[in-house]
Amino acid sequence: MRRLTQLTLAAIVMTAITGCATMSVSSHVERGLDIAKYHTFDWGPADALPLGDARLDKDPFFLDHVQGAVEKAMAARGLEWAATGTPDVRIHFHANISERIDIDQTDVNRGYCPGEGCTPATVSYEAGTLVIDLMDARTNRLLWRGWAQNSVKGMLENQDTMARQIDEAVTRMFERFPRPL
Amino acid sequence: MTLTRLALAAAALSTLTVTACATMQVNSFVERGVDITRYRTYHWAPADAQSTGDPRLDNNTFFGERIQAQVDKWLGDRGFEKINADGPDLVAHYHASVTQEVNPNGLDEPYLNPCANDQTTCDPPEPYVFDAGTIVVDLVDARTKRLVWRGWAEGSIEGAIDDQAFMERRIDEAVARIMEQLPRGL
Repeated sequence: MRRLTQLTLAAIVMTAITGCATMSVSSHVERGLDIAKYHTFDWGPADALPLGDARLDKDPFFLDHVQGAVEKAMAARGLEWAATGTPDVRIHFHANISERIDIDQTDVNRGYCPGEGCTPATVSYEAGTLVIDLMDARTNRLLWRGWAQNSVKGMLENQDTMARQIDEAVTRMFERFPRPL
Repeated sequence: MTLTRLALAAAALSTLTVTACATMQVNSFVERGVDITRYRTYHWAPADAQSTGDPRLDNNTFFGERIQAQVDKWLGDRGFEKINADGPDLVAHYHASVTQEVNPNGLDEPYLNPCANDQTTCDPPEPYVFDAGTIVVDLVDARTKRLVWRGWAEGSIEGAIDDQAFMERRIDEAVARIMEQLPRGL
């Protein structure tokens, strides 16, 4: 029994490591931005949140989970949700799924050749991108943009996988969030 | 001994860097019979509503404004004046797009394989996928609405979007090489 638990744990850790390795996260920031000037935030109007893919458009779970994860990350950085009045920051997010190609060297590198002169295989996959924009609510200028990209394989069919991917994406994006000057 | 190796490695690295830069393709065309130097003023057309093909760059003002600022600098150096009022001579417009490309890297030409005679220690070149970016700068006659000059640059931007400073350098380089193509006065 204990052995089984250990094996399961090892499998989970492996999956987590593999998952991390493929998600790429980065951000752009306004030069000289002092985030300490901003205290409150709100979401942009619903119509300004177009999603790039019908499968996500119709998924209230996706929307809710992204908003929840971002609100948590903002709170952790001392920005409060503005219940009333004009917020300092307006948040927009955009999600997109597009077909991308990659070259799989694995078979060739392992010396296993599936014939055809042993050439690396070209594989196509669906890459999801989650973009989060923080705008100055008064000037409407972009202050910070963070994004995460990963294969969406298994994500659209499984809410737990989707939740984990969103959490990782938002957490890693906000690790790059500007520090107060 | 170690020093020599280090120097060799450095030389190899700088060759790689130079090659990477050299892959930028730049070109332009001028409308026949147009003397671009008789135009004096310009302003920018509203930002492109088209997608760049990369969600990281869509509506990304850090990216767009860097291109515009660099073009402004070059046009300014050539004596063009940016005006915000109506009635400029030229309307400037830029467009950027990103597509994935495959570099087969000798995959189709085994006879070019540098490892043909040394299978044991030599690593053969491997095919790879990269992001190729194109920046197009258009100058349109404000009265006739005809395109009078178009310059563009295309090259690998692999890793550039995820690194803001590197992206800015890449934009600066691309715009500089595009604007160098702008005809000078006769």
